[in-house]
Formats: sequence, C-alpha cells, structure tokens
Amino acid sequence: MSVHNSINTGKPITLTIDGKTCQSTFGKTILEIARENDIYIPTMCYLTKVKPIASCRMCIVDVEGVDGVILSCQEKATEGAVITTETEELYKERQNIMTLYNVNHPLECGVCDKSGECDLQNKTMEFDVDTQIFTTRDQHRPVENWGHVSYDPALCIMCEKCVRVSTEITGDEALQLKFGGYSSTIVNIKKEKNYASLGEAAAVCPVGALVDTNFKYTTNAWELEKIPSACPHCGGGCQMTYEVKHDKIYRMTNNFEFTSLCGAGRYGFDYDNKNVSKDAKAFAAAVEAVKNADSILFAPQITNEEALILQKIKEKTGVKLISGEARAYQKFMQAYAEVTGKTLYSGRLKGISESKAVIVLGTKIYDDSPTVKYHINMASKWHRARVAYMHPLEDLEMKNIVTQFIKYEAGTEEGVSALLVEMLLREIDVPESVKSFLSDLDIGNLSAESNVGEEELEALRKSLIKKSGFSLVVGSDLYAHPRAAQIAKILALLEKYADFNVVCVPPAGNAMGVSLICDLDDDAEGLTVGYNVAADFTLSALGDGDLDMPALNQQEGTLTTNDKRVVPMNVALPYGGYVLNDIANALGLNAEYTIEYTKALPADKGFEALEFDSLPDYFDTVGTEHRGYLLSEQETALNETLDEIAELDGFDGAIVYQCNPKEQFSAFTSKCEPITEEVFLSGSKQFATATKLSDGESISFIIDGVTFKRVFKIDTSMKGTIALNPCYDMGLSAPLVSSYRFSRLEIMQENSKIGS
Amino acid sequence: MSGVIFSTWRDEFIDNRDKPSEEWSQTAFKLPETYHGDTGSKAFIGWDGVAIFDEDIDAVELANQYAAQYQEYSEACGRCAPGRWGGRILYDLLDKIARGEGSHDDITHLKEISQTMMVTSKCEIGKTVPKPILDLMEYYKDQFDTCIDDQIPSKHYNGDTSYIAKVTAPCTDMCPAHVDIPAYIEGVRDMVFTESLQATRQTMPLAHTCGRVCPHPCEDACRRMNLDEPISIMELKRIGADYETDHEVPWLHPSEPKPARNDGKKIAIIGAGPAGLTAAYYLALEGIQADIFEELPVNGGEVAVGVPEYRMPIDKYNKDIDFVLDMPTVSITNNHRVTADRLKELDEEYDAVMLGFGARLSKKVRAANENTKMGGYWGAIDMLDKVNLWHKYDIGSPVSNELEGKTVVCVGGGFTSMDVVRCSIREGAKKVIMLYRRDEKTIIRNTTYEEYHEAVEEGVEFIFHSAIEEIFDDGDNITKLKVNMFELVPDPDGGRAQLVKMEDGDFEIECDYLIPAVSQALDTQILPEEWELEMTSWNSILTNGKDYMTTRPGLFAAGDCEYGPMTIVNAVGQARRAASVMSRYIYDGKCTLLDDEIMEDHLAKLKVYDKNEKITGWMPGLPRAVSEKLETEERKDNQKEVNLGFTGEEAIAEAERCMRCYYISMVAV
Repeated sequence: MSVHNSINTGKPITLTIDGKTCQSTFGKTILEIARENDIYIPTMCYLTKVKPIASCRMCIVDVEGVDGVILSCQEKATEGAVITTETEELYKERQNIMTLYNVNHPLECGVCDKSGECDLQNKTMEFDVDTQIFTTRDQHRPVENWGHVSYDPALCIMCEKCVRVSTEITGDEALQLKFGGYSSTIVNIKKEKNYASLGEAAAVCPVGALVDTNFKYTTNAWELEKIPSACPHCGGGCQMTYEVKHDKIYRMTNNFEFTSLCGAGRYGFDYDNKNVSKDAKAFAAAVEAVKNADSILFAPQITNEEALILQKIKEKTGVKLISGEARAYQKFMQAYAEVTGKTLYSGRLKGISESKAVIVLGTKIYDDSPTVKYHINMASKWHRARVAYMHPLEDLEMKNIVTQFIKYEAGTEEGVSALLVEMLLREIDVPESVKSFLSDLDIGNLSAESNVGEEELEALRKSLIKKSGFSLVVGSDLYAHPRAAQIAKILALLEKYADFNVVCVPPAGNAMGVSLICDLDDDAEGLTVGYNVAADFTLSALGDGDLDMPALNQQEGTLTTNDKRVVPMNVALPYGGYVLNDIANALGLNAEYTIEYTKALPADKGFEALEFDSLPDYFDTVGTEHRGYLLSEQETALNETLDEIAELDGFDGAIVYQCNPKEQFSAFTSKCEPITEEVFLSGSKQFATATKLSDGESISFIIDGVTFKRVFKIDTSMKGTIALNPCYDMGLSAPLVSSYRFSRLEIMQENSKIGS
Repeated sequence: MSGVIFSTWRDEFIDNRDKPSEEWSQTAFKLPETYHGDTGSKAFIGWDGVAIFDEDIDAVELANQYAAQYQEYSEACGRCAPGRWGGRILYDLLDKIARGEGSHDDITHLKEISQTMMVTSKCEIGKTVPKPILDLMEYYKDQFDTCIDDQIPSKHYNGDTSYIAKVTAPCTDMCPAHVDIPAYIEGVRDMVFTESLQATRQTMPLAHTCGRVCPHPCEDACRRMNLDEPISIMELKRIGADYETDHEVPWLHPSEPKPARNDGKKIAIIGAGPAGLTAAYYLALEGIQADIFEELPVNGGEVAVGVPEYRMPIDKYNKDIDFVLDMPTVSITNNHRVTADRLKELDEEYDAVMLGFGARLSKKVRAANENTKMGGYWGAIDMLDKVNLWHKYDIGSPVSNELEGKTVVCVGGGFTSMDVVRCSIREGAKKVIMLYRRDEKTIIRNTTYEEYHEAVEEGVEFIFHSAIEEIFDDGDNITKLKVNMFELVPDPDGGRAQLVKMEDGDFEIECDYLIPAVSQALDTQILPEEWELEMTSWNSILTNGKDYMTTRPGLFAAGDCEYGPMTIVNAVGQARRAASVMSRYIYDGKCTLLDDEIMEDHLAKLKVYDKNEKITGWMPGLPRAVSEKLETEERKDNQKEVNLGFTGEEAIAEAERCMRCYYISMVAV
C-alpha cells in the first residue's frame, strides 16, 4: 500500500533548545522535544495524551529569527531552530497570565479539594504572583452536581482539558465549551446520564473545578498514601493508584497525563473482603476439600500467580481446572495461533488508536472494554478512521464514532467472518489453499443467511480504498460460539495476510492470564471446589463462601492485560485471613508469599522469569510505558486448514444477550456503591411485543444452569428482538454463565407469577 | 465630508488636527468616511489603527466601545487566558475612565494588559484590539486626562453616537460567500466536526461542494502566505460535511430553522443551481416559502451536469441539495422550463422572483468557417451535460460512443475546458489537445495547480500561446484546424507584455472534434423584452452588486446570470445577499441592507488582507498539507473521485497552522 505523507513527518531534525543540541523528528512540537530532553517549559492547559489545546499561552518560547513569541505546545519544531525557553520577557508574560488566572479566583484553598496538588496554586507560587493588579467585576456562578463529579465554574480556568478528554479519549462528548468570554463555562450536555467517564475529566482538571462528588470534603490530598496498582476489572489492566488513609480507599487516581481510566476503575474500588480473620477450622476444611476435589471451578478475577498456584495444584492432584470464559478464549486463541503460528494476537491498543480504519466484530465493545472503545475513538478523532461496527445490535452510544453499522443475525458469526475476510483479501496474494477456501464460499448464501448485504460489504470495501493501517477488534461473542475455532482461523487470515492490527479482546478479569497459565478443562465432574464460584466447597473473596479469600485490592500479584502486558498490583487494603497460597502450601507446595510465583510464570507462553519486586511501574517524561513487561510472542505449530462453513444457525424470535452495563464486569464491581445501578432485562418495544412481556413484568429464565429472576424493562432506544441481560449481579453464580452470549429466551412459566 | 482628520491606519500616520485645510494630508485607503447613503461616519476603528473623520469625536468613548465590542465578540470565544480575562479588564478599565471614575493607575494597567494581550493572545483579535486603543490613549491623551483629572464622564458617554461593528478575517473578507473560515477550521482543530460544519453553513449551504471544487480565492488572502504557504482552506471544509454524512447526523443548521411563516408571502426562484439552492435555503431558514423551478429533471444546475463526477461526486452533491430541499418551506418543480411568458406569470403570482438560471450557452471560438451545426463541433456545455447525465443519472448514452479513439481539440483555459479535456480522456479519446491563448502560469492561475497537473498526467497535450484561425470540414464533419502561434513580447516601456502572432508559427491539427470552452453566455430568451431589463456590457443581468435587484422592482438575479460565468462560491455569496434583501423586500417593498452587510461591503472595499504585513508569533516553515490523489493509472479511465481528502493527521496539522486572523472593525455614526 502506498504511503502518503505530505507533511513529511518523521524526517530527522536537529535543533537547539537553551543551548542544548536536540535530535528529533519533524512533526513533533517544540514542547515535546523539550520534554524528550528534560527541558522544562511551564504549561497550564497542556495534556500529553490529547492534541495541543493552546488555551493558556504559558508555554511561549523565543525562536531565533522569528518575531514574536512562539507557542511551543502547538508549533512543530523545524530543522535548525534555535529556541530559548526562558527570558525576562517570557517570565513577565507568563507571570501576567498567572495573574489573570487569579482574577476573581476564589481564595478558598483551605477548603478546596485540589489544594496541595493544584496547578494554579503551584504556578502562582512559581511565578511569584503575590499581588493582583487587575480587577474586574465578579460574577455569581453556582456549583453544579453532575453525578460522579461536581463542577464549580468559579474555580474553572477554562483550560479545556476536560472537554478534550471527553472528545478525544472517552468519546462520549458529554462535555462542551459554552463560549461566553469572561463568563465561559464547561457544560455537561448529557446530564441525564451519570457518565462514569466524567471521572476522567475530573482527573485531568488542574484546579478544583471538577472533583469527584464522593471524595469532596473528605480529606486533604496530602494525607493520602498512594499505592500504585493496575485495574483488575475488564482485562485492560489500566494503570491506577489507590489513595488510602486509615485502611480506607478514598479515591482512585491515575497517571492521567498519559493514560486513562474508565468508571469501573475509577469508582469500582470498594469491593474488599472486610473484617476477615483466620478461621483455622474453615481453613482445614478447605485444604481437605481441595485435596479431595475432582474439579476446581474459578472465576477469572484472580492474579497470574494464583492461576499458577491452581495449575500447580492440578499438576499435583490431577484435579480439573474449570473456568468457562477463559477456557473458551484459550481454545479460540489456540485455533488462531494455528494460522498465525504465534501464541498471541499481533495487535496493540496503540495500534488501534493509530488506525485509519477499525472493524469491530462480535463484541459490544463499549460495555465489554471501555479502554478499547477509547482507543477506537482516538482513531476516529485523530485519524478520521472509518469504523465499521459489526454486531447484531446497533450501539447508539457509538454513533459518533462508527461510520458504518453492519448488523448480522446472532449465531451467524462464522459466515460473517468469512464474508468479511473474503472481501478484505480479495486483492491480496494468499496461498492456494486459502484462495480456494475463499473462492469456494457461497457469498450469496452467506449474505442471505447472515443478513449482511453484499452492498454493505461493498460500501465498506469502497470506504477502505487507499487506506492503510487497519485494525480488527473481536470480542467475546465469538469465543464461546460453537464454531469458535473455525472463526478464529478465518479471522487470523487478516493478521497473517492483510497486516491487520488484530486485538482479540479477552473476557473480563484476568481471563487472558488464566488462558495462558492454566491447562484448563472443559467440563467439571465429581466433587467441586469453587474459587469465587459457587461449588461444593467455596472459597470466596465476596465473603459468602466456606472460606474467605482476599479480593484483588487486598493482594499483590500480576495481571495480564489486553495490551499483552504483565503488570503489577499492590495491596491497597489489609486482609487478615488465609490466601490460596496457604492452601497450596498445606498441599505440599512451598512458597512463602504468592508473589514468589511471579518469576515462575510459564516462559513458553511469553512470561519472563522476573521477581515481582523487580517489575517497573511508571511512565517516563514523554509517556513511554514502563509497567511490568510485555509478553513475548512464542512460535507455535501451523495448521492452516480451514473447514467448510457450517450451516449458519441464525437465531430467530426473542433472544437474550449476556451483557453487563458499562463499568460493570463482575460480582466485585457489583459491590461498589458509586457505580451500582438497578438491574433489568432490557429490550425494545418490538421485543416486548414478540415475548408478550410488559414493562415492569417479572420473569424467570435459566442460562447455563443459573436462574435469573429479572424485571423486564422497555428501552425505547433499542430496536429488534434482542434483549440485554446483565449477570454481574449474580454473585458466585455469575462465572457459570459462560456459553455463547446469545440465547433464545425461554421464560419459566410457573415462575412468571413469583415476582408479580 | 470633512475628510480624514486623524489616522493611524496601516502605518499611515495622518494628523490634520491643527492644520489649515489646504495642508491636510490625504489617506491612500478607502476608509468608510461615509457610512451608507447620506449617513456620514465619525470614525473608523479596527485591527490596524484608527481613523477620525469628525473633530467632535469622543476618543475615550470610542476606545471604550471598541473594547466593549471585543468583549461582545469574546462572548463567542473566550478560548485563551489573555483574551478571556484581558478583554474583560480592558473594557472595565476603559469604562471606568469614560464614566469619570478612572485613575492614572488604570492607564498604566491598561497598557500592561494590552501588552500581554498583544503578545500572547490565541487569535489576532486579541492581539490587535489593543492597538487602536493605545493609539487613542497616545494621540487623544488630553481627553483621557480630562476624564481622570476632573472625574467627569467623556463628552459623549451614554450619548448620541451609534457604534456599528463587524468581525471579519482576511480569508472571510475575500471569500465571495464570506464564510467564517477560522471558525470551521477551529472545529477541525478541536475535532468537533459538527461545529465546523455549522460554522460553514452560516453563509454556505453547499459544504460538500465548496469543500471540493471551490477555486478558493480565500487562499490568496491567507495571512499564512506572508509566513510560508497559505492554509489549505478549501479542503478543510469537507471534513465537517463528510462527518455529517458518515455518521448520519441529522441535518446541522447554523441556527434553529424558524417555523414556516404561512403568511401568504412567497418567492419564486428560477434554477436549482448553487444560486437558487442558496437563496432557497436562507429564505427557508427564516421560514419563508421559496419555490424553485428547474428546467432539468435533475437538481444542482451546472455543478451537477457540468462538473464531472471525478471532481464532484454526485452522491456528495446530492447531500448538499437534499439539505436544502428538505427544508419545510422549499419546494421544487423539475422539468419546468421558465419561458418569458411563464416568467411574467411568476412575476404576477409571487412577491419576489430571483433569477438564478446560470449561463449555459457555449460561446464560439471566432475562427474562420466556424459552423456550430457542423459534425464534430460540440459546445462544452452540451458535451459535459451528456457526460454527466450518463455517469451520474443513467440518462442518455455514454459519450465514449462519440469520442472513443478520436482526436479531440478543446479551446479554453478555464475550469470548463479542463473538465472537457479530462472527460475526453476518460471517454477513451485517442488524443486530447488543449489550445490556450496564454501561458502555463496563467492557466494555473485561472484554474488550480492540481487541475492543470492532473490533466497533464492523464495525457492532455497543452499548446500554449495558440489560437484557431480556421476550421476545415468535409461538408459533414470537421477534419482539421489551422492554428496560429503567438509569442509574448515585452513592452520596452515596461508596460504589459503583448501577444504577437508568430510568423511561420502556423500549423494544422487533424481532428474529429472541436470543443469550444472559451466562455458561456446566458440564455436571454427567458427575459420578457417589454421589461427592458438593463444588461451589463458583457450581456449579463445588471444589478448594483449590493442588493441584487435588477432594474425591474421585485426581480432579483444572482449567480452566473448576474455576473457572467463565475464560481460556485460567487453564486452562493450573491444569492445569500439577495435572499436577505428579498426577505425584507416582500414585506416593505424596499431594498435595504443590514448593518452587517453594509460593513461587509465597506471592508471589501478597504481590503482586509495586507500582503506586506509581517507576521509575528508563528513558527515559519511548516509545510501546507496536500491530500492524497488517485494515481493516474487508477483514475484516467473512470469517474472515481481523484482527491481522496485529508487524512485526520493532515487535517489537524493543517488546522493548527491557521492563525485565526479575526479582526474587529467598528464605525461610529
């Protein structure tokens, strides 16, 4: 594919900043190059992870031979430029800007939540603003409560960072500027919804204008102990920091300059297993139960180290290891690897954000993985990416990002994958076997059965002309599909032959780590022990099992992320009970602490033999991530043989789709008060008609042996006959729901009266 | 009028205050000494200085009101710290002095805040507003001192003077449609593409179209040119329009369309081209009924049937057209040729009629033996109609039936001729020659750099300094042409170089088709003779170029039929003004202009762009982004859109080059 680069980015340049010779590349701003070289330029509105905002004007510098001052955050450096970042005149202008920022800024630092970590405070001191020579009439501006976050316009300096993250990062576009000169404010145009991604806006706010409502007035920032960690919820493993005082988490923060955190990460922290002490009797019973167990069932909300402990127990006792979603993902990726010859998918999140086209298939991505959705949004905003969203349900909240919705019949994912791959590989050289597989496809039939129009695919093909840098994002709908292995192999062709940046988004929790570390089995048998799953004997961090276990914010260990990184988590809250490692030791394994297993994670799956305490956990000054390490790709045996497409088994009638709402991923997030919502089976009016259900009616149905009692609610924004059924609220039963996400709704007749 | 008493406009310093009138210096600028009609003007103040026309001027209040205007403007901005607070402080301090409560410290603070604004503001408006205020503080110091020392209001504070202001920018001023270019570029920079499109549509409903095929006169007035290269203004426009289309956003209007007035008032519009569509849109935005009558079965006028698909894909143009036709008070009647008799009926039936029927008759090349009926003689407009009706609407038959394997000669030099030769290549002509009287530089200036080079790449042979002397035929068909060559002979006295016919330069071209594309005329048959409409010297319909009413009351004209063959953006600009005038005319029977329109015309006369201005505060040497084009081999035998548009990265980089050259100007009357 031709590379068109009219502005010649990437060309090496040399320039001088404050007398220092700096080597860099064209396309970078003066400020970026200064930071690469550890040269300080003050800013108030600059936020590395978004495009230059250019509202504060603090970053002005002098460039030799150029009249006037130059805005270093926005202006690209040119070859040979000689730049000075500090002069008396620049200082004076910066001082004047800080003086302006302080015009009528309320002198209430004593009660402001930002005090102690406020950019306005810091820069006011830095530029020695001790008198106010400018005055203007003050104005009354009341505080607004936006749910998770409250907004105080009187404190707002209109840096626009929050608007930019809402536009460029989270993509909900909830926050906008309301122009009004001196009375300009930020407005939340989606007030009717409590967007958990508002937390991201509060995080980047340099002053006390946007603060977490629950955190407000609870403590001083400087009293909090900061414990770096990684978010365990969706599988993104995003960087985050617990801020703790007196064994209580007050809030979550993150390195917002370079990375982002969704609402689950930001507000879903209150799930620790509280007030647990060592119960020797229960422990002895647990040891006995594990010793005698035929199967251990476990939820993916565990660390890599715990997964390895379970694997070691299996190796010792021969017990079966059952973890439904992780097993499905493991099999999918094994089939995928038969085509690519590599243990891991090729894609990275950064690759998604740099794409010119992104195809999403088999996932309600905004709900399944907010962080992946953010990266798709970045591609949309920064690269005007075409975004094709292929799913049986249209997600209206993705409309501002998606350029083409392609709906297919639930169940026909194999046919859809084949149609997609055939279209994308049409003009690409592939081996004879692949070519004959593709040319033997009965396109007309696949199109008719899946309901994906050939003209839709043609429109997609046309929109990709002359574009390069494609990403494919696939998700959980595919992993437990009866034809998952075949789908995996078909889609892997795009990575192998069309150079797609493919990300197979793992199911929530540490499913990716589990799938790499454990030798999982398909079906449970005999006596069972459950770890965060209901079983004959249950170990539970949710607090209602036979033996307590620590929750993930009470443990140290590592997680494997959807960006293929192994990242460390640290202990935020104390825990007084037994841990899995104690059971393992009682069974004859020998490790003082769980993290002794960090260095023993399987090298043949790409893990490194590194001690937990040696894992780095930071971003450098230009934002390069140094957290843990990246998994390395391992080669695997090839078997590119593709089966014929099976008869497409599309679903008709009323269908239930297992889907948790945004920022909810498990029974653990379910415990977190700030993000809880009422749980419904929600469907369209059409669904209501098809099922003869009325709004508010209570029904019961069974999926994977789990009985759901749900109130049905009509959602007028939905269409079609697919209803959404969350299962994060199902406690220890939730992990059992792991089969194909779509199923026919079969209402239990006698139970329909129970709830009414 | 008294003339210019004092001026600091654009580095011209005039101070006639204590001079006898015979010694007065004169200004070289077309300053608005008269506001409108009989209304004089007391002063003009703007980004580049201040000019005083009335000795009784209240300089303190003038400065104060100018700051107030900035404050009002910044109500719509407030995007940078110095502008947001600085503008407020400037106004508060000046008002304090003007009402007689100021101190000399306030003067010091005014100077300080002015300095910070001029150095660090985000856009030119913040950088330039302090300049004339500082001028007034310096040269009318006594008035400021009086207010402060005596603690009295300035002499016309709260008084009898009106202040009329307008915000403009060099590009906006140069654009015939006065599109708020910095605003739509800012929308791209902010990645809020909906706002970008809404900014465009304030004055330009055809965002897809003018984001693709506008000859962008604005780029000749881009201040960035004084630093390195002009912004690629035109191509950034299509980003917002593409966003609306790609994301199926409901139509984005610049303001909420007003409900239908249903008061019986209605306006007829002849022609559904850019002028007709524009007038209909802005009338409908006001809730006024606009009925369009279109001769062709398809809509869009010459841009639809003249501009080829590879330059202006019809599905995109149809978006612009649907955007207008979806307005509740717009109706369209197709296949409806308005004759002179029909026009008389419409004139009776409607409260106003706007002519927007274009100029669709190809002119002759004026060679010996020129017979328009001869086989192989094919007017450019007819030829392009046929090409486009086939490719865009499946109407008629392919032109390759005629041109495949043939030799085609086109005479021209403008956009139409470029369309002819490039379409001829696409229809399979064996050889395509363009004859042009002038040189390569001129053809590029008359069209665009890209247009010319792409034609060359596709295999068009250009013969410059050439003209047809005689056409030969065999009685049925053209067989060959006799061509004269000219050379450009410089005038020894330094005057304009002359084209002189070269002796021995003549040659012959054997050809099958001659397609004249030298210019177009309008079809005047539509105009009832007894109306005796006045025409221009080039036989287009005469108006005063301000309100676009013809010499017949209630009959308006805009676009090519008024101006002669010109650009889409010119038609849009004229039609929007005509719509504004008509929206009042149908109620009061008067042709009036809004203050904003009067100021628009003043600024156009004064000229906003100054090519000699030195730019400060921007990094020079950042290259203009160039969008990707289809390779020659990929495009020359089909109608695929050639220009693939900016990538996101290019669009944002290009938007970041924009210096937001907003200016405020204000007249005191």
